[in-house]
Amino acid sequence: MTDAKTQIEETVKANDVVLYMKGTKDMPQCGFSSRVAGVLNFMGVEFADVNVLADEGVRQGIKDYSDWPTIPQLYVKGEFVGGCDIITEMTLSGELDTLFTKENIAFNQEAADKIREANG
Amino acid sequence: MNKSEEIRSALQAEFSPEMLEVINQSENHRGHGGYSDGESHFLVQIRAAAFADMSRVNRHRAVHKALGADLVGRIHALALEISA
Repeated sequence: MTDAKTQIEETVKANDVVLYMKGTKDMPQCGFSSRVAGVLNFMGVEFADVNVLADEGVRQGIKDYSDWPTIPQLYVKGEFVGGCDIITEMTLSGELDTLFTKENIAFNQEAADKIREANG
Repeated sequence: MNKSEEIRSALQAEFSPEMLEVINQSENHRGHGGYSDGESHFLVQIRAAAFADMSRVNRHRAVHKALGADLVGRIHALALEISA
């Protein structure tokens, strides 16, 4: 439990953008994880992916860490941003762009605009 | 009480929402790993004044808390659309 917490803390601090997900960014194993990984990939954001299905300690640990009961979970600069619903809303509203800009995370603005055009 | 009714009654009691829809989407996911007993996937649309001053994350946390860990744990997928 403590081990998982330490491991999570180190991961979210060592990587600017981390997605805790079911499966990997190349092979997601859940529709919700797939959607968030897909948005980040499409926006050209570099991120670390952690497959919670590979480690039961992390799978439970990440829920305790953020007081959030579901996967996926997105972290930016060590801060929990949200799960699938929130990331989807923030993508469509432009808040995700704002957050990445504020935190100096590189992303493709044109791609982000395209997502909104396609879902407007 | 089925899960839809459990969700509805917990949220009604906690937030007295102006709008509350609990939509069971489980049949859309039949055959997928998380499907079970026709009560695995739900979409909740809720609008309540209580959410006005909360961040997105805190809105979701408030709903999770009102439902309780037991009920949340028994639902495979819970999509939330929360407004104030």
